[in-house]
Amino acid sequence: MKVKILRQVTPVSEPYWEGFNYDGPPDISVAGLLDHLNYNDDIVNDEGVNTTRIGWECSCLQGVCGSCAMVINGIPALACETFVRDLKGNEITIRPLRKFPVIHDLITDRSSIHENLKKTNIFIREWQQSEDKDHEHQYLAAKCLKCGLCLEVCPNYVNGQTFYGAVFANDCYLVSSRNRNKISEIRKVYGEHFGGGCSKSLSCVDVCPMKIPTLASMSKLNRR
Amino acid sequence: MKDVLVIGSGISGMSCAVRCAELGLNVTLVSPFPSERAQSVMAAGGINAVLEDNGEGDTVLCHVEDTLRGGGYLSSEEEVKGLCERSGEILRFLERIGTVFSVDENGKTAKRAFGGQSHKRTYYCGASTGKQIVSSLIMEVRHFEAAGKITRRLWSCFHSGLILDGVCYGALIYDETTRKLETIYADAVVMATGGQNTLFGKTTGSTQCDGYAQGQLFRQGVELKNLEFIQYHPTTLVTGQKNMLISEAARGEGGRLFYMENGKRVYFMEDKYGEKGNLMTRDVVSREMFLVNKDIWLDVSFLGERLIRRRIPEVMELCRKYRGIDISKEPIPVTPSVHFFMGGFAVSLDHETNIRNLFAVGECASKYHGANRLGGNSLLAAIYGGMKAAEEIAGRAGDDKHPDFSGYAARQTQVLEEKGKTESRFPVAYIRDLLAETMQKDLGIVRNEESLDNGITDVDYYLENADRIQYDNSVMTYFNYSLTGILTLARAVLTCAKNRRESRGAHYRSDYPEMKEEYASSTIISYDDGVYRTRPEGNVGTSINTERCI
Ligand SMILES: Cc1cc2nc3c(=O)[nH]c(=O)nc-3n(C[C@H](O)[C@H](O)[C@H](O)COP(=O)(O)OP(=O)(O)OC[C@H]3O[C@@H](n4cnc5c(N)ncnc54)[C@H](O)[C@@H]3O)c2cc1C
Repeated sequence: MKVKILRQVTPVSEPYWEGFNYDGPPDISVAGLLDHLNYNDDIVNDEGVNTTRIGWECSCLQGVCGSCAMVINGIPALACETFVRDLKGNEITIRPLRKFPVIHDLITDRSSIHENLKKTNIFIREWQQSEDKDHEHQYLAAKCLKCGLCLEVCPNYVNGQTFYGAVFANDCYLVSSRNRNKISEIRKVYGEHFGGGCSKSLSCVDVCPMKIPTLASMSKLNRR
Repeated sequence: MKDVLVIGSGISGMSCAVRCAELGLNVTLVSPFPSERAQSVMAAGGINAVLEDNGEGDTVLCHVEDTLRGGGYLSSEEEVKGLCERSGEILRFLERIGTVFSVDENGKTAKRAFGGQSHKRTYYCGASTGKQIVSSLIMEVRHFEAAGKITRRLWSCFHSGLILDGVCYGALIYDETTRKLETIYADAVVMATGGQNTLFGKTTGSTQCDGYAQGQLFRQGVELKNLEFIQYHPTTLVTGQKNMLISEAARGEGGRLFYMENGKRVYFMEDKYGEKGNLMTRDVVSREMFLVNKDIWLDVSFLGERLIRRRIPEVMELCRKYRGIDISKEPIPVTPSVHFFMGGFAVSLDHETNIRNLFAVGECASKYHGANRLGGNSLLAAIYGGMKAAEEIAGRAGDDKHPDFSGYAARQTQVLEEKGKTESRFPVAYIRDLLAETMQKDLGIVRNEESLDNGITDVDYYLENADRIQYDNSVMTYFNYSLTGILTLARAVLTCAKNRRESRGAHYRSDYPEMKEEYASSTIISYDDGVYRTRPEGNVGTSINTERCI
């Protein structure tokens, strides 16, 4: 099986594709595949030329930390939860998330997610139960990994601009449902940085590894 | 004091940063990756606390006694009391900042029973307690970031402490984006870098916990404690890359452990310990599994799909996703795995190390768990330690002067540059893999003098060669320079295990299977230019309140 990876040495260098051969079993996650390719003392590409280890980020390796978000065969996903056996065709392409600056190979700088939430004061501070008693929804919203997959598929999100995407909408919902005194403040920033800009393609819902009901978050925040 | 440098941004680092900020201090919070990536998000089961209206007749003293007993009485009553007395306050704090705890039918914060407890006292958030706590702490930190009291620094890794004559003045940090070492001076430094997973390769935890900070500071004169006590979790599902925890709930719901002999199932835990055999403590089950020395399975299929989906849905999902196993139809292959480190930096009641102004909190510190940890106590200890260190720091007078470490920083920069040019056939990753193999083999669930000596010989050999190993420029520079610290820590762990010639808590020696009075104290280990010295700490804990709590 061929594995094609979009690589980039430093944040400012040119990206390039490099191919690798994988002849192990298909019952392996893409994270496992990357480890496998990196495992040998000498790393060789599909032209038999020595090359460098493939950079990628991981931590929990079981879908709860969001580190290994990347684009696999065109679909943004977590590498640790995507299995080779489920991928179609005889070639796997892997590239970094393109909505964020690349640090090295598949490692990207997603700090803008946090920065946007900081600029707009998205924090609870004092738990003051609101009318929203939907405990399950709050629980799911708080599971957000800040992995950036929802922003990668979003047709409206551009890094550095004023539309902040689904990750922002869900945190807005969480704060307003846990602190009723912040509802009007949150609605305002939500309107400025999400409500007006979302074209409702809802692809964010499909890629979310935590299955956060973004649509429900939106409809609760849109209610007046 | 004014400026505090907190290294590590999991639950303990964030708790410390928040408390520092509340007390008016300025915090720099350093980690390579955001808090969402820290191991803390993996904690599932819950956090222990005794609330006033607990409805169970539970008391702080019972919590203290359970903790001391679980730890083989190696911790002192005084330190554990400090932890337990503030558990209620800590739970209320987490609720206040918005943590989404599970609630019972009356809307009250729900709690569950955990192993080793005389009363039900583990509060939880579904099956993702750690993640929910991390999410609310991130928001609280964010508030103080917006207010200018906390500054986060990402892509930054600890390199070494700025230590002179027993006092710490800051740290050298390696910035992976600029690829440079940076000197950060601070009135106090708080280490919050988590456990030591890398020593063992595959564990239940995160790849980010590597023990480097402990190893490096140990080389710089910081004392470590109780390194021999490593908790194994008996039931994990092995995948190519890690050992995934199968929650104790699976056995709590009636799950049965067995191996196959002559085509028949042998329920070895029940055979040896009776009906409740599968529910024995983590160390006992792990040891029995090790001694059986066969493939072992955990069967829950008799519960039926409906009950499994309702009671342990996360176990069902994990097995299906990662191994294609339908646990309502087939048993789960399980293996014990390294899970938690009771050992780490030796710290005072205020979480200060033997180096003045250098503190340690969370799993990298060794304080409350003695020879074994109770489930639900480490999240509590991570938060308590962070708060305690912050309060001590805030109460101290600062000193604006510090020695000049620019010469040291320049030398370390040069060392990194020179090492970048080293030539050898083997990259750092190769030695890391060898180390994990050695540690798994020689410092397993059951140890003996011979295996520990073999381990020490191997690690000494790796250490001798560490300086010649090839730096790999395609991985994070940190991954390269951390090797020597990690190896040094491994050598210290083996030494502690060798010198404790008894069995206690999670430390089991087949050549000394009994607990001995002469070892009823913690181990302190120090380092002096290649010499590893252990000594007993001296404070022996005792049972305080056996009657009411059993
Ligand atoms: C699967 C699993 C389940 C668990 N369940 C429970 C439970 O139910 N209840 C319970 O009480 N405990 C549980 N634990 C244990 C508990 O999660 C940990 O003890 C606790 O979260 C540790 O928090 P911490 O802040 O000390 O470290 P971590 O969360 O590990 O954070 C360490 C931080 O330090 C950073 N870091 C590491 N090295 C460096 C360096 N060199 N330079 C800079 N930064 C560095 C990391 O990036 C990270 O930000 C569980 C553990 C696991 C693995």
